[in-house]
Amino acid sequence: MDLVLQFLHNTGFYLADYRNLIMIVVGSFFVYLAIHKNYEPLLLRPIGFGVILGNIPFFKGFGIGIYEANSVLHYLYFGVTSGVYPSIIFLGLGAMTDFSFLLANPKLMLLGAAAQMGIFFTYLCALGLGFTAPEASSIGIIGGADGPTSIFLPAKLAPHLIGPIAIAAYSYMALIPIIQPPIMLLLTSREERLIRMPEMREVSRREIIIFPVVGMVLCTFLAPASIPLLGPFFFGNILKESGVVDRLANTARNAIIDTATILVGLTVGASTQGDVFLNAKSVGIFALGAVAFSIATASGILFGKFMNLFLKEKINPLLGAAGVSAVPGSAREVHMMGQREDRTNFLLMHAVACNSSGVIGSAVCAGILWSFLIG
Amino acid sequence: MYGLEAIAHNNGWTIALTGACIVFAGLSLLSFTISQLHKVVALLDRPPKPHIDVVVEEKAEVPARPDCPTDINLTVQLYLPLVAELDPEFELADLYALARKYHLPHPHLSIRCLHDAGKLQPLGDGVFRFVA
Repeated sequence: MDLVLQFLHNTGFYLADYRNLIMIVVGSFFVYLAIHKNYEPLLLRPIGFGVILGNIPFFKGFGIGIYEANSVLHYLYFGVTSGVYPSIIFLGLGAMTDFSFLLANPKLMLLGAAAQMGIFFTYLCALGLGFTAPEASSIGIIGGADGPTSIFLPAKLAPHLIGPIAIAAYSYMALIPIIQPPIMLLLTSREERLIRMPEMREVSRREIIIFPVVGMVLCTFLAPASIPLLGPFFFGNILKESGVVDRLANTARNAIIDTATILVGLTVGASTQGDVFLNAKSVGIFALGAVAFSIATASGILFGKFMNLFLKEKINPLLGAAGVSAVPGSAREVHMMGQREDRTNFLLMHAVACNSSGVIGSAVCAGILWSFLIG
Repeated sequence: MYGLEAIAHNNGWTIALTGACIVFAGLSLLSFTISQLHKVVALLDRPPKPHIDVVVEEKAEVPARPDCPTDINLTVQLYLPLVAELDPEFELADLYALARKYHLPHPHLSIRCLHDAGKLQPLGDGVFRFVA
């Protein structure tokens, strides 16, 4: 009888905490969104399942949980806390990215820079709410709308906040179709949304191959702390564009990035144990994440309007919203908004250019913030 | 510590402003660089000088004209069409003008040879008649 009682005391049913149950509901909701609503399924499905997995109550001290040394989940989570997975994901992203649209219209890169203002604004807000400087930087990076970067910087500056920050970043990325359109409509007139972008020039193969080298040298000279992200990113890109190592490029953009995404999603999800995750700080991070996304979108659009004051050939300010690096969700949203006004206006390629710039911009921001606070 | 005091205490304004400026300057520099990239590439991509094999056309052999009208019969053949264009009695200057017009070689020498061979019979007053 004692054995049976002991067994029952060790089951999840007995050990369950209301916080675990809340998180299991949240995880199930993510899985529902991913499968039924098709919201960022590649991210939300592993994260949602990870949230459920991480909140299964267990008897502590047996090396089971993600925060317990020597547990399997802990070893898998090491890729997150060390910043290895984000670097690997950037390698795959580089092997997927086509910079020809950006090379054809380099001024769109400024929109990617402008959209990073959300990071610094949120950093100030977080400081004002009482977060420490490393915590505030880690929260601010949510404004970059880049999942791997939102894991990388907290891993370096505030490892205890990786879970809430990553969940907030990926959740808001999934919610881009809900967050961005109202801001776009609010900040642009119909005439502005109808602006057509000029046809892009043809970019030579030599330009496409030279760009990763030039881009990496310039960006990493400026912010050497961004090497772990931008190094693999541009390396992946040159694998793709060189055309002589297709096998490696294919592996990077398929098997490698998929493996890293699965492990990141699962372990970040599992890191949201109710007793660790459900606190006032997490609520604050979610609120600030929304601010970060909104300000990033708005600053990109407003900068697009500002550029139009000086440009002879006007650009469509909607493109500024794609300056956040949520690839390709924000570009798709900009394109759809443009088409809502004029079905013959195709903004997708131009928005992808802003997206690519946003990826570089957010990685540079992470490098800058890390270097400011590393001491 | 909260609010503006917390921001100032953590050097927030400076970090945010400097960070934003660095990102903007960096991406602007990258933007400018890639906007010039196609010009640099155009220099590298300048097409190589085309190598053209010049095929020398073999000219049809033209029978050599007499360098010196030693062959009086050939000279007569050349000048007969010219004489036919003139009146039966003509001045040597007219024959010379026609020879120049048709680019016959060394007309002066040829006319002299014709004269020495008796093919141009003098009629007086600088007028001549051609004798075949």
